[in-house]
Amino acid sequence: MKDLRHTLQYLLAGIALAVLSAAVMPIALAADKPGDSAANKDPVQRGDDAKCTKCHDESWPKPILSIYQTRHGVKADGRTPGCQSCHGASDSHLKNPGSSPDVVFSANSKNAPSAQDRNAVCLTCHEAGKRAHWDGSKHQSENLACTNCHAVHTPNDKVLSKATQPEVCFACHKTERAQTHRISTHPLAAGKMGCSSCHNPHGSTGPKLLVKDSVNDTCYTCHAEKRGPFLFEHSPVVDDCTNCHTPHGSTTAPLLKARSPYLCQECHSGDHGNQVNSAANLQSGNVTTVNGINPPANAAARAQLGARACLNCHVQIHGSNSPAGAKFQR
Amino acid sequence: MKTNQDCTALRASVIAVRGALITLAMLPAAYAADTAAPDAAVTELTQPKNTVEVGIGDVSDNSYKFGEFNGLQKKGAYGIFNFDLRGGAYDSDSDATRWRFNGTDLGLDTRNLSGEYGEQGRFRVDFGYDSLRRNRSDSYQTPYLGAGTNNLTLPGNWLAPLLPRVNATAPAAGAGGGANARGLSTDLATSSALINGVLTAPTAAQLAQSATIIAADVPAFQNVNLSTKRERYDAGFSYNLTRQLEFKAGFTHEDKDGLKPLSTVSRYTNGDLAAVIPDLISQSTEQYNLGLNYKDGKSFLQAAYYGSVFKNDVKSMSWANWAVPGAMQTMTSPPDNQYHQFKLTGGYKFSPATKLVMDGSYARNTQNESFVTDATMPLVPTTSLSGLVVTKAFDMKLTSKASKDLNVAAGYKYNDRDNRTPVNTYGYYDAGELGASGNTNAAFSSALGLPAGVLRSNANINANRPYSKKVNLLNLDADYRLAKGQSLNGGYEWQKIDRSCPGSWIDCADAATTKENTLRAEWRTRLGEDVNAKLGYAYSERKISAYNENAFLALVPMANVVPVGATASAYATMLALGVNGYGPLAGLPATALTGNQAFFFANNNALANALYGNQNRISELPGMRRLNMADRNRDKLRSSINWQASEKFSLAGGLDFNKDDYANSVYGLQNAKSWAFNLDGSFAVSDDFSISLFYTFEDMRSRSAGNTYTANSTAANVNGFTAIQGGCFATIALRNANNKLDPCLNWTTDMTDKIDTIGLALTQKGLMSGKLDLTAKLVYTDAKSDISGAGGNYANNPLAVTGAPAGTIAAFYIPFANLPTVSTKTTELRLSGQYEFDKNSSARVGYVYARLKSSDWAYQGMQYGGLAGVLPSNEQSPNYNLHVIGVSYNYRFR
Repeated sequence: MKDLRHTLQYLLAGIALAVLSAAVMPIALAADKPGDSAANKDPVQRGDDAKCTKCHDESWPKPILSIYQTRHGVKADGRTPGCQSCHGASDSHLKNPGSSPDVVFSANSKNAPSAQDRNAVCLTCHEAGKRAHWDGSKHQSENLACTNCHAVHTPNDKVLSKATQPEVCFACHKTERAQTHRISTHPLAAGKMGCSSCHNPHGSTGPKLLVKDSVNDTCYTCHAEKRGPFLFEHSPVVDDCTNCHTPHGSTTAPLLKARSPYLCQECHSGDHGNQVNSAANLQSGNVTTVNGINPPANAAARAQLGARACLNCHVQIHGSNSPAGAKFQR
Repeated sequence: MKTNQDCTALRASVIAVRGALITLAMLPAAYAADTAAPDAAVTELTQPKNTVEVGIGDVSDNSYKFGEFNGLQKKGAYGIFNFDLRGGAYDSDSDATRWRFNGTDLGLDTRNLSGEYGEQGRFRVDFGYDSLRRNRSDSYQTPYLGAGTNNLTLPGNWLAPLLPRVNATAPAAGAGGGANARGLSTDLATSSALINGVLTAPTAAQLAQSATIIAADVPAFQNVNLSTKRERYDAGFSYNLTRQLEFKAGFTHEDKDGLKPLSTVSRYTNGDLAAVIPDLISQSTEQYNLGLNYKDGKSFLQAAYYGSVFKNDVKSMSWANWAVPGAMQTMTSPPDNQYHQFKLTGGYKFSPATKLVMDGSYARNTQNESFVTDATMPLVPTTSLSGLVVTKAFDMKLTSKASKDLNVAAGYKYNDRDNRTPVNTYGYYDAGELGASGNTNAAFSSALGLPAGVLRSNANINANRPYSKKVNLLNLDADYRLAKGQSLNGGYEWQKIDRSCPGSWIDCADAATTKENTLRAEWRTRLGEDVNAKLGYAYSERKISAYNENAFLALVPMANVVPVGATASAYATMLALGVNGYGPLAGLPATALTGNQAFFFANNNALANALYGNQNRISELPGMRRLNMADRNRDKLRSSINWQASEKFSLAGGLDFNKDDYANSVYGLQNAKSWAFNLDGSFAVSDDFSISLFYTFEDMRSRSAGNTYTANSTAANVNGFTAIQGGCFATIALRNANNKLDPCLNWTTDMTDKIDTIGLALTQKGLMSGKLDLTAKLVYTDAKSDISGAGGNYANNPLAVTGAPAGTIAAFYIPFANLPTVSTKTTELRLSGQYEFDKNSSARVGYVYARLKSSDWAYQGMQYGGLAGVLPSNEQSPNYNLHVIGVSYNYRFR
């Protein structure tokens, strides 16, 4: 039933969107001004940009003109900057092309102003929204410039695509890069998540630049089944998912900081949680005593050490909504 | 309810989205102005090209692990189909219309479609579809019938697996033992067993019984592939009401369906029995975002709503007890829940140098799913939870460029998770068993207002604990430019966390308050023109107000009731004696205890579970500190150096170090350390040929401590034998009198992870007159996890039986034996070549070689003959060795 219901819902939604699009498009296109003549079809000749593009033209080694494929090149949007909006009036550069423009964004350039000054240019327009918490954020205090991550002149800015974003972030976050190659990971390598699925690199109200106010609220955006509130909550779970999990990659699935039962024993020492779990308790346990004797009595493989260990039984470890679930078994 | 879906089927929803997008794609063409085009070379740069890629690939082998997230889990051919269509009035300076329609991985279960249409500066609509299949196991086996439903039964001819002999590891039914999944192993069923000190071959009758069980049960184990699939549909709309005011709306609907492994526990005569079942997943999450954003030159204000609604079609999973065929067990599935948050964010610039940003939010998280109940739950005071968590958050940050060289920032955060869920007391029996004979305790029943007999002797009487947490955080930061290219950053942070359970009869938090102070500094410098370096250090000290070792009592309210036979409650007695549930740190008392101490802490032992209405000892060792609420000193070091030797060659290195020291934790996590070394290099050999490589080594270690204490007792021998070999006491009598004091029962475990990761990338462009580009990427990882330890425990000698020779050792001390190394090695080589036929078409060939070799002792317990109480699932540690090849044609057009 759910399939049918959803199919109908989305079919209707799709049809509605198609009809809406068909209705809106002519109106939008009809808004083209009558004076939209062939003479100004060449964007590089428009307005003040022409001062720059007469030299920085299609033959320039770097594809400067491709900015007209990006949002920064949509001249019909009155908010869109021109070359000089970002690079400054650059009068001396115009007179003497050998000198630098007023604002150079390449971090490797000797003439580049401070990151703060470069960012001020971008923040003129991009101060609010997702960048509301930029000032004082980790990346801001690390003196990162917007252009350390963003490529403004290209229509395919790597950092804006989930598939290519991690390679931008990993240029600095190298340990995390290695962690994503471990046996237990989130689907970053498959391009199904980006770093920005969890982090807002421009600053946030959460820890570690997380997109939500807390670690848990961020995790619940994809793992809402663990949100509860449950009848029987597991204290470290509601406290912080990273008490047990490490998000970028782990040698122990699922993204655990340590293996069970040892992870559990970092907090539990009562009842059967007090046991010492060594290779002597494995099926293949090489059981030796101080005297080299192998007492078969101890050869019993312990359920707390094999298979899913503590979670063989305490499976509802994120919380249980069963009246019989205080031990996370129901 | 549904389970897996046909991975290649084109759903109606996808068709709908595609239909809409195709409509969008076609319309602009119809309206396109027929005007003269600018210069072709300019057009090449300024106007987007559409691309369509079509091809075919082939995977050499099946592997769920290789295809865990990439859709390539199945051997055989798959289609390559990607496209990116873009359009709009790129040649107009008065029309800001733009649209884009993009599809990737359309031939796989990881397909993605997205589209957007808008007039920049006025409005934008976008919508998308994304599919993510997660493959979980292709080696899982189960005898359960009904995979894909929430009711799992065993075959009609299923026999409870028994190993019909009594030995140290395999008790038999009817001889003080019970079900034993090891009986499914032919090797074990036919091998000799040590029985009462004598190695005994199975009898013909025992062999026949084992053979009958194996013949009935083993063929019932069938492969069930476990995977889940998320399908997400999203739509967004933004509209610029004025130049300053923008409205945004977003909606996401995600279905998650399929099967994943879920462990379950049932009860048999002598203990818990686990089995991994195929858990039916049929869930959906809807997320809503609404926002109204205002900004002008000096300020901005954003009002936002975020909603998240989780629905689960599966309310519970039921399965047959594998030791008692036909006896069904039930477990609750995650309940429906909702979260609604309202948020206001504002910023104001007092001057170009000084800015204040504030953010406040209010959220309600509710859950009121009907409880799933059965006869194993004799006390359920309400039909659903009425769960409510209210979260209030506030964030404020003031930043200022105090002078040309000095930036300062001050921030304050407040986050209050106020769990207002009502507290009630619930009664149930463990793991689905039924009430045993006898009243738990007349006083407990009376206190709960229940008639005698409702709560049987084996009942757990537990209250829920609605955990609440309030965080206050203050931080100050300053960044000072010492000279050109050199700066010093310093900061201080103060954090206070208060934890509680509103409505609980006693404080539930192990530490009601933790306070943490952090000091940090970072030095950044530019050494000459080519080298940048950074060195940072932070030190944090977390202190707890007082560790409450009685916090566990919040779960067992009967600890506050005077049981029959005592004159005070367990809690009152603990307070009077100044002990926690572990009781006195003492050995067997020289003279018999009296009064309430004798009643609650007989022989100086731990508080008996039944005296607080629970079936397990839930108190912790004195000195146990839970890691998130323990005193902790933390050191963090970060360093890096980047050398841009020339335009062609660069080298970067970094070293990170972390150390957490839980100095006041006698038991629990003692310390955790890690360090990571990174090295990156790149070399552009020529304009067309470049090499880059990276290497990361990470070493992570942690140590935990515990104690395998048992109860003090007067027992002095094992079948008449008294000597212990090893350990701290020479005789059974001495050991048993000091079970709570025996230093040999202390243990530590040391966990170490060491991981090497190596990457190499080669890029060659411009071969064959500039038509051919080649790339090669290799990533190799080698991870090793080791667990060593100290300490041990005692085990009785099975040869110490009546009639054994005089002098036979009664018990041995078994020292800790290191665990086998868990090893994972991966190799992934990716080669690709792209040949340009002309500027509008190219061919691409891609090849992947992937290898994973892993070994993990945890899988031992999943096999036939593995664990007595865990039904085998025969899952295997993942390994693969495979090739993927793909050929595609790429066409670009306007």
